[in-house]
Amino acid sequence: MQVGLSTKNAPSVWVVVPHFLIGTVSFLVASLFAIFNYQDLLGYHISGSVLSIVHLMILGWVSMIIFGALYQLIPVVMQVKLYSEKLAIITLGSLVVGLFFLIAAFLGYKFQLTNNFIVGGSLVIFAIILFAFNTFKSALSSNEKSISKFYIMASGVYLLLTVLLGLFTVINLSYNLLPVAHTEFMKTHAVIGLVGWFLMLVIGVAAKLMPMFLIVHRTREALLKWGFYLINAGLLIIFAVTFIKQVPEFIDVISFILIFIGLVLFLLFNYDVFSHRMRRKLDIGMKLSAIGLIMFALTTLSFIGTYFGNSAFGFPAGRIEIISGLLLIYGFFTGLILGQTYKTLPFIIWLFYYQKLVGKQKVPLVADLYSDKLATVHMYSFVASIVLFIAGLVFSIEIVLLFAAVAMFFTSMVYGINVYKMIFHKKIIK
Amino acid sequence: MIQENITEEEAKVYEVLKQVPDPEVAVNIVDLGLIYKVLKNDKAKTLDVDVTLSTPGCPVGDTIIQHIQTVLENTYPEHAVLVDLVWEPQWNPDMISDDGRAELNA
Repeated sequence: MQVGLSTKNAPSVWVVVPHFLIGTVSFLVASLFAIFNYQDLLGYHISGSVLSIVHLMILGWVSMIIFGALYQLIPVVMQVKLYSEKLAIITLGSLVVGLFFLIAAFLGYKFQLTNNFIVGGSLVIFAIILFAFNTFKSALSSNEKSISKFYIMASGVYLLLTVLLGLFTVINLSYNLLPVAHTEFMKTHAVIGLVGWFLMLVIGVAAKLMPMFLIVHRTREALLKWGFYLINAGLLIIFAVTFIKQVPEFIDVISFILIFIGLVLFLLFNYDVFSHRMRRKLDIGMKLSAIGLIMFALTTLSFIGTYFGNSAFGFPAGRIEIISGLLLIYGFFTGLILGQTYKTLPFIIWLFYYQKLVGKQKVPLVADLYSDKLATVHMYSFVASIVLFIAGLVFSIEIVLLFAAVAMFFTSMVYGINVYKMIFHKKIIK
Repeated sequence: MIQENITEEEAKVYEVLKQVPDPEVAVNIVDLGLIYKVLKNDKAKTLDVDVTLSTPGCPVGDTIIQHIQTVLENTYPEHAVLVDLVWEPQWNPDMISDDGRAELNA
């Protein structure tokens, strides 16, 4: 009886692979943008170029890869088939076109409700609603009771809240529907998006994949359960108080502490998994993922910095927030995606070419589909880029930021070559 | 290996199954402890294998099963090969052999 086999539930290669291809192109373009706009990082943090880079990274790179990877991982995590592959394709099309309009709107530097914002924002929201619906329907048909599933389902809810808040912020700027400062909405939009959508999803998937790849059996799932309650409580408080004009400061502090402890519990879970791993030697995918998790620990520390404020460090306004955002998006998310690409993409390509040939002919291993050397090169350039970015921001040195941006562009190019090698793999029969 | 009292012929089957790797970790499934039982009946011409996976969501599960089926059918063309996926007892890393551990970290 062959029940529960995720290969039987695996989505088509045509659903997953375009996400990796478009995601990689977005990473390349965002990194190229950063080379020409690196000075903006030292300036006022809500410039059009910074917003376009952030949205290209968040929607075009991080979300795109997460969508594709999740379609592939739903059968692994929930042991069910993706609810609808057609919906996944429509989601992809809507996200790509919407992103195009949204980036054009941000590059226009106009913080008004322009047509590009309306079209782009609506298409992105449509894509996200479809994605959340597809994930939810898949999750509901699963009998799995793991904490991973609950994190993934909650992340879908926060994703919807994030885009609705983003759209509401822009509408409120033009029509002043609620007498609350737009910066409050922006803050909640960013926190719900980054912590509620991305982190909850990443925690849900990592909780399943890290022990699986590192061969660990007894994990401290209680840490994740408590983390789930604390992060949700913190996020719900933040969301609720956004609509109140005068909020006592201690409410902010409580929500911050709840989320902070939840994130520390996730880090402790991963530390425990890494400490008890049977597979002591890490492959390149897991090395990059481990670097991503270290970046996450640094991000969590930098969150404390945002509480004390920029003046405590002698920084100009907005600097510590830029450092936090950079550590989270460029450091944690990008590091984890770079690593997990090597644990997901080659599998689906390998299964596509070799599944029917195993045993009949000598076939390559999954790791033979990409260059380990190239991956090692971009691991070093990635770390160098993050170190340079942080140094450039802490000491306000423009030229260091330029080197950092060039190193990240180099990373995206070398990573892109490896993705190209995997996607356009030529069948090898030994 | 959790199976006890195996015949010489069944031990040979275990050796044949060492040709089948887990494509992710590149260690053979026998040393990973994924084979729970091999029953070779030369009179009835049947060959039954119980295999498990490290996790129910294993992304390469049915590829491994298909590989076992093909390798055994090629090696024992006279026998009817039946590969059964089982979940009891639940696999754990203690089932990996010393050779498997060494290979895993080579």
